[in-house]
Parts: sequence; C-alpha cells; structure tokens
Amino acid sequence: MPKLIIDDIAVEAAEGVSVLEAAKSVGITIPHFCWHPALGRAGACRVCAVKLLDGPVKGIQMSCMLPAQEGMVVSTTDPEAVALRRQVIEWLMINHPHDCPVCDEGGECQLQDFTIACGHGTRRFVGPKRTHVNQELGPYISHEMNRCIQCYRCVRFYQEYAGGSDFGVMGSAGKVYYGRFESGQLESPFSGNLVDICPTGVFTDKTARFRARYWDYDMAPSVCPGCSVGCNITPVARYRELLKIVARRNDMVNGWFICDRGRFAPKGVNAPSRPRTSLVDGVKTGREEAMDALLRRLGEVAELYGEGSIAVVGSTRLSQEGATLLPLLAESISAGALSYGLSAAESRASSGAISMLTLENGASIADVENADCIAIYESDLREEGPMLLLAVRQAWRRGAPVLLVGENSPLEQVRGVGIEAVQLHYMEEAPLAIFERPVVIAGMRHGDPRVMAVLDRSGARVACLFPGPNGHGAALLCAEHGGIPLEEALAKGKVKGLVAVEADIPAELLAGVPFVASLDWRETAAVQAASVVIPTAAWVECDGTYVNFEGRAQRFSRVMKPGLPIKELDPACHPPRIHQGDPPGGDILPSWQVMIEMIRLAGEKVPDGPFSGSWANLTSLDPEGEGEVIRGRCRRDS
Amino acid sequence: MRVIDDMTAILTGLWTTWKHILRRPVTIQYPEEKRIPSPRYRARIILTRDPDGGERCVACYLCSAACPVDCISMQAEEGEGGRRRAAWFRINFSRCIFCGFCAEACPTMAIQMTPDYEICRRDVMDLVFEKEDLLVEHCGKDPEYNFYRHAGIGVTQPRGEGEGEKPTVDVRGLMP
Amino acid sequence: MAGADVIPDPMEITLVIAKIGLVLLVILTLAAYLVFAERRILAWIQDRKGPNRVGPFGLLQPLADLIKLLTKEDFCPPAGDRWLFFLAPAMAAIPAIMTFAIVPFGAPVRIFGRDLPMQVADLHVGLLLFMALSSIAVYGVALGGWASNSKYALLGSLRGLAQLISYELSMGLSLVPTVMLARSFRLSDIVAAQEGGWFILYQPMAFAIFLVSILAECKRIPFDLPEAEGELVAGFHTEYSGMRFGLFFVGEYINILVLGGLAATFFLGGWQGPLLPGLLWFWGKVLAFAFLFIWIRGTLPRLRYDQLMHLGWKVLTPMALVNILATAWWLYLAGSSPL
Repeated sequence: MPKLIIDDIAVEAAEGVSVLEAAKSVGITIPHFCWHPALGRAGACRVCAVKLLDGPVKGIQMSCMLPAQEGMVVSTTDPEAVALRRQVIEWLMINHPHDCPVCDEGGECQLQDFTIACGHGTRRFVGPKRTHVNQELGPYISHEMNRCIQCYRCVRFYQEYAGGSDFGVMGSAGKVYYGRFESGQLESPFSGNLVDICPTGVFTDKTARFRARYWDYDMAPSVCPGCSVGCNITPVARYRELLKIVARRNDMVNGWFICDRGRFAPKGVNAPSRPRTSLVDGVKTGREEAMDALLRRLGEVAELYGEGSIAVVGSTRLSQEGATLLPLLAESISAGALSYGLSAAESRASSGAISMLTLENGASIADVENADCIAIYESDLREEGPMLLLAVRQAWRRGAPVLLVGENSPLEQVRGVGIEAVQLHYMEEAPLAIFERPVVIAGMRHGDPRVMAVLDRSGARVACLFPGPNGHGAALLCAEHGGIPLEEALAKGKVKGLVAVEADIPAELLAGVPFVASLDWRETAAVQAASVVIPTAAWVECDGTYVNFEGRAQRFSRVMKPGLPIKELDPACHPPRIHQGDPPGGDILPSWQVMIEMIRLAGEKVPDGPFSGSWANLTSLDPEGEGEVIRGRCRRDS
Repeated sequence: MRVIDDMTAILTGLWTTWKHILRRPVTIQYPEEKRIPSPRYRARIILTRDPDGGERCVACYLCSAACPVDCISMQAEEGEGGRRRAAWFRINFSRCIFCGFCAEACPTMAIQMTPDYEICRRDVMDLVFEKEDLLVEHCGKDPEYNFYRHAGIGVTQPRGEGEGEKPTVDVRGLMP
Repeated sequence: MAGADVIPDPMEITLVIAKIGLVLLVILTLAAYLVFAERRILAWIQDRKGPNRVGPFGLLQPLADLIKLLTKEDFCPPAGDRWLFFLAPAMAAIPAIMTFAIVPFGAPVRIFGRDLPMQVADLHVGLLLFMALSSIAVYGVALGGWASNSKYALLGSLRGLAQLISYELSMGLSLVPTVMLARSFRLSDIVAAQEGGWFILYQPMAFAIFLVSILAECKRIPFDLPEAEGELVAGFHTEYSGMRFGLFFVGEYINILVLGGLAATFFLGGWQGPLLPGLLWFWGKVLAFAFLFIWIRGTLPRLRYDQLMHLGWKVLTPMALVNILATAWWLYLAGSSPL
C-alpha cells in the first residue's frame, strides 16, 4: 500500500493503482480521455499530465501511466503541468469541428468538460482541419469521425473487452480512423457501449438522434427489464417519452456496460397502442368503475361455475411488489389458482433452481469473470443473458476454458465475443472438479431440473438464468404460495375466469376461458382478449423491485410521469398551450397499487405496503446501491 | 452656525427645484412621438435565416438552458439533408424578461433580439409565439454567417469542402 | 353684525346660505384643481409633463379622477370595524371644510342695502373654533387606521396621532402673539388690526413656527410620516379605496387651502392689500401658500420620526413660548397701543 501526497493530500493507494486513480480516490479529477476504469490506460491522449515534485520519479508524467509509488509528491496544479495540459488539449482540439450545437453528445461530453477544465478557450491555430468520411453503422449508432480525438477507447473496448472483430483502427498520424472496412451494422452484441465510452460525439445513439439535451433529461437509477441479469441502467426520458437507455455502473452486477438488447430493444413504453385508459367491454371508463365491474363479473363467474373457477396469473416481468401482492389478490377474490408463469417445464426448472441455490453456491457476474472454468448448460446466452457472455469473455481472456453443455447451447453465441469453446453433451462430462473456481451458467428455458442435483454436488458456483427480469423473485413466491403454471391450471379445465397481471398469455391459451381481465401496460394478447382492462404504469413510470438471476433484489426508480407523450398529443403541431396538472392518460397506477385498490374494494384487509412479513427487508432498498442478495431463502426455510 | 447651514441647505434645495420648474420637460409623448431605439435594443426575439435562406436554428437547446425564466421550449428533429432543426419552437413573451441571454448563448446566430418593443397583446395567450411567428425571412444582424459552412458535417457543402477544412482523409492511402 | 338677541330676517338667512354654497363650491373645485396643479407642478420639478391627456392641457383630469374614484369598489377589510371604517374619511374631510366658515375671504360688500361680510360666521372666538376643529380632524386619521385592522394602517395612524397632537401645540402657541397684538379672537378683528402693517413684519418668528406647524398638520412632505409610502405602503389609508380614499385625499387638499387661508389671515393681512380687490388678494395669498406647499413637497425628503418629535417638542414649542414672552415684554414696554 504505497503512501503518496497529491496536492497536499496524503493518499494511501492500493497496490498497482495509477496516480490518476489514486487522485480520483480522494476527489481530485485529473482530465483524461484514454484511461477508463474498465479498460485501463493507453497513454494516447497525454492530457492527464501532472508534475512530480519529489519521490522515485520527478518532473512531468502522465498520471494514468504512472503507478502510485511510496513517497511520491504529486502536484496537479503546478504551472508547468497546467500549461502542458492546456497545450495538449489545444492541439487535441485543432481538428475538432466545433459542431457542438448539432452534436448529441453536447452537454454530456467529456471533451467539452475537460477542454474547459484544462483552460483552453480560444482557438489560435489558423490552419485547416482534417475531415473524414463517416460510415453507416446500422440503425442504432451514428458515426461522426470529424469529432474524434484518437483516444483509442472504442477500439480497445470493441476488440479487447468485447471480442468484436469487425471494427478497428486504420491509418496513422493525422489520418487515424476508427471504423469498419466498409459501412455496415456493427456485429458485436455490445456495440452500443461505444456510445457510452466515447469521450466525445464520434458514436452517438441514433435512436435518440437530435431529441434532447442532458440538462433536460428525466433520469433516474433503474434496472433493465430485458432479462434476468438485471443490469443497472439510466433510462432517459423527455416529454414523457423514453428516448434512450444508458448503462449505469454497478460493480456487483454489470460493471460499466450493458448489452445492445437492453439498450436498443423496442421501447414498448412509447407504443401508441399501449393501454392508457380502463376499458370495460371495449368502452372507456374510470379506474374505479372498471374495478367495480371486474369484481362484479368475477362474482358472476364464481356463481355460474362454482368456487375455484378463477385464476390469477402473474409473470416474471411483474415487479416484486406486484408479485408479492398477487397471492393476497387471489385470496381476496377467492381464486382457485395462482400462477406466476405459463410453461410447466420452465416452472419446474425454476423451482429446481431456487431449491438448489444457496448464498454460497450462487454465482454473480463477478464470480463468472473470475472463474477458471465456465460451463454454459443448455443456454443461448445471447437470448437469456447477454451480459454474462461479456463476463465469460473476461474469464476466457484470463485463461478459463469455456464449455458448452447440451444441444441448446449453440457455438455461435461465443463466436460473437471472439472466444473459443468446447461442446459437450451432458453436464456430467464437464471436468469441473479439477478447477478451483468453476462456474456453471444454467439456462432455465431448456434446462432439465434433475441436473440441478448434479450441479449442487459438483461444487461449482451456479448462475441460473431465470426467465424474465423478476424470474427469481417470482419463483421464490411461487414456491412460498404454492403456485402452479397456467398450462397445468388450464389443463384441469376448471378455470373459467382469468385475471392476468402483466402476464403475456398467448391467445390460444385464452381461447377456452370465458372471462379474461387484464392489468397491463403492454398491448398483449390478454389485453386484446380481456373484457376488463385496467392500465398499469410501465417500469419507467413507477418505483419497483426486480430480483435478478443471482437473487439480488434491486430497486428501480420512476423516471417519468405516466401519460401520453407530448409528441402523441398532436404529432403534426405544437404541444398544447393550456396548462394541465395531469397529462392525458396520466391517471395510471403501478400494478401493485391497482391490486391494493382491488383488495380494498373486495372488502379484505389492505396491507400497508407491498412488502410485509419475511419480505419487509426489501422496503428499504436503495436504488443507487448494490442491491441485496436474497437467494437461498427457500432452502433455508425447508 | 448649524441652523444657518440647515436653512441654506433647504433654500438651495428649493432654488434647485425652482430652476427645474422652468426647464423643458424631457417627456416623450409616446404613441404620437416615438423614440427610435438603438439597433442593439433588446426587445422582440426573432429566429433568423442564413444567407442561403435556410433556418439558422439547429434546436441545440442552449437558449432554453440559458433562459433564466424558462420561457423558451422546443423540440429538435432531423430535417432534410441531415440538418438539425426545431420541430416546434416556442417563446412565451408573457414570461420573457428580454435579458438577451438566449441571443448571447446562440451558437448559430439564429436567435436575435430586435428593437421592436411594441408587442403588447389583449389576450395573454397571443404572447406565446410559435416558430412560425418567430421565424423571419432575413439574416438579422449577421448577414454573412452560416453555421453549416464551418461545422464540417457536410450539410451545405460536401464534407471536407467547407471553410478551413482539408479534403477528407483517404483511410486506405499508404502515404504517411 | 346681527346680535344674538335679534331674530335674523329671511333675507339674511338666504344670504348666509348662499355664502355657504358659494364657499363650498369654490373650496371643493379649488381642492380638485389643486390636486391637478400639484401633479403638474411636481412633474415640472421632475422635468416631466404631468397629466395632459384629459381635455385641453389635461384640465379635465380632476373629473376623470372623480369618475374613477366613484366607480371603484367600496371595500372594507373583512376583519375591520365596518362603521368606524366608513365614518373615518368623513371625520377627516368635514372639520377641514367647517374651518373655512370662520375665514374672512374678502372685504365686506354692500348688497341690498346692507353690509355683508365676506365670511360665513364671524365668531368672536373664531380662533378657538379653528383650534377645536383641527383637533377633531385627528380622529379621522386615528379611527381610519384603527378600523382598517392592518398593521400598516395602525402604525400610520399612531404616527399621525402623535404628530398632530405635538404640532397642534406649537401651532396654537404661535398664534398667541397674534391675538395679543390684535387683542381679539375674532378673525375679522385680526384682519382689521393688520391694516397698518401685516403681522408677519412684527412676528416673523411666529409666522415661521406657524408655517412649519401647518405643514405638519396637513401631513404633507416633509412631515408625511402617517402615510410614508416608502415604509407603510400608504399609512393610515392603506386599506381605503374609491371615494372613501377620495375623501381622505380631498380633505388633505381642503386642509391646505384652509390653513393657507388662515396663515394669510393671521400673518399676511387677510384680504387686505393695495389696488386689487380684497377677494383677489385673499385667494392670491391662499394659492401662493398652496404653491409653496407643493414646491416644498417637490424638494424636501421625509423626516425621521425622532427628528419630527425633536423639532416639534424641543425646537418649535420652546421657541413659540419664548416668542410669547418676548411679545408680552415688548407690549408691556410699548404701552397700550403698540401698532
């Protein structure tokens, strides 16, 4: 632990840490472009110059390249260092087109910030600027090479960190060019991170092109609903429209990056066809009336078909709040069946997984990255958890062999991140016992629940990829309250009334059910088939909790108010001039609040909040924190 | 003597005001008689066009960020030829305090202040000016300037042919 | 004139009523135009033009003001004392008008074969009546501020009470030498006593004290502490609007005219003067005082409250007392007929 002094502040740095990081740890920001916490240093930009006044090395040094050593006395404010940084940023800017007004990075641009920080204000160089021709990089990322300052971050991420091979650096001297050999969509499933990682506006998000500025964004810490990995993200909204999604750092989950699926997947929140008003038989009504009608008709169904003819169906995308209240709702309307999923196979796999997982044998992404052997069991990670693929690559870069087990683990998935893998047929073939830190990534979609016992005995840490962002939480609750998959419930033929709470039930399953009601924010088949529809708030419009694959409960916060986006109010013209407190379509509650209202209307005792009893510790989750690991509670209970 | 001094002070004051009674008033009889403000006077805001007739405003949101009373709002969009433009642009003159920060912040010289100070309206809603009310057919105070000729993003001229730009780099060339 | 034991004949009553009507008409019209004149003169002092839009040279401005005041909402603060609130403006305006009854505004004329004094009521205690009425005017300010139930109004009326009571003292004392010289409280006698020379020549000190005191009595700048718009919004009449405010306002200008008339009567020989008829002399003197008031308003800043009290109690009152003693000493030395 070397001790050094930076700007008169005594710093104790960790071993092998650079002076730049040591300064950062005590709140001194030294301008930098090529250094990135996840990528390390390149020494390409020369802007992090500091002066060493005393110690093993002296004089002007690049702080990102210089490991912190005992006895160093560092000055970031020395006139010589300041002058050097100012000159460096001045020549970094000589080719910059100064097109900030039309650049989407403007306002959130590191180059802007550090140019000001380094004290460069007026352009003195009168010579011409070099220009580049841009490439068409597909529908998600736009390319503007004129703005480039050659920090090499993009290519270091793309090739080294993400294993992409279709993007790189060409040319030399003033002609350095970052791009593909020819225009075309970037192939890496993590290409969207170029947008986040580029310190200036070379790569910008095409889906939010020319839409808003950083200072106008509606932002909040959130969690990606794309899969069970639960990457931390910051959704960006403006005028009640979700514009784009940016990665948010959480070292316990996704680190600095997210996958393209989470970033660019169609944002259903903005869909014009989204249910925004309560409907009874297709007629718009108020929420209270719709709830009354729903309870009355459920009563009629129970009267006509007898007790237990009603099923309440949740899903793995329903937040933990909603999922916890689902049994109470089922009880209040005397439902005969409670289900958290549709497929019987998936449900069996999930329940097998939660009964096997403990605090000790569960694997986090960090465990995957540090593993010395990885087996991917019956899973296509591109579908079930792309960020795990990135973690697998980091382990592979450190020398861990990668095994693909089972016929549903295609070899193509690892080719996308540039790694090699061995294919096996059965889990038992994997030689996990000879490794110190083996990790098995098991897919629930095709997984065999009997293998869980094998995994439990293998001594490997296991990452079980549950379906949906809250698959782990739903599986825990399903076990706790004796839920059955909808397929099974329907097979018995007794279900005549069905309440779908944010559940994606295909039309063919609904065909035999006379009465369907749906609480949802997506236009699903259940919403289309339902006699009573009550809209709920989408994940960016309310606070909530997801429990990710490793059993980490993470809170997400409300990003924007629900309601019709200004764009949709009058697409041809201007936004309305008359001030309104609540936007049209803004009277929407989160699903768990709708459920509480329904329990109240049904005359049952209303819980204080969504979490009570053994779940009460989730009430105080911090959206900006690391989350809380709750896996293994089933096994402890039994 | 203090009393004498005080009396003299009062009488001096009375003498001063007496002189002003006989002086010609400086009042301008406004509706009949109008003062011509300086060209730099800060009154009604306009959106100017560049010398080629294109909209100068690129909807960069800097004016709305600079506005201390939040009277400017807009939505940017991509226009023809990769131009960035305002889909809608609104200035609420019932809130505007004519401080000129927006014009100062504008990087493309689009938003400018004019000496037209007579913008009273009977209905306050008529003071909410939309883009079509703000957009004028001239260049305003900077007749020469065209942002896109300098920005190098190839809107008004092909890339690499703007003012102070080198021709585009041939990445496949082998010359150093 | 008519003795107390003589039943007045109808002709006399008619003439008195006609005089009252005439005086009321002149006073109210003059007060209205005084407002206009003040606005114009203040404007000139400030290099402006002043109201010049209504009628030729803005001469119909008073009419426009009247219409505006009459058509405004007659508002009483919900927590105020309704009756006192409505009574106070009248209490301010009526004593001011009534005082004019004792002011001789011209030389007696001969009409229908009788001598008609240009004075509504020539009381033999006229000066005392003036003192009494000016004391009643205090109630207008006090009640108006108190009934408003507002902090600004209450503070204004408290200041008004203290100020009016303080300066009434020096005002009264400054008039004692006049009475001593004229040997009468009757105002016509005081005017008659100045035939040989105006009292301002014999009593410049008393005149100065009286002038400062009536400025304070009118609550005019530099003594406008009860209103003090910079500190108390509008002081005692903060809560008033419409014609009730108008009454306070008009009362102030009637007060200027009345006190100007009294100053002329006590020190400047009343209606007396060479060549021109008495009426013109009198009204000329009154308007000169009015102009002086306006001129002072356009020049001097407001006194601080402690300065006001200091001036009243420590300067004016002792000076007036010394002046009385000096006058008495002088009268004693000069014998029975000093003038």
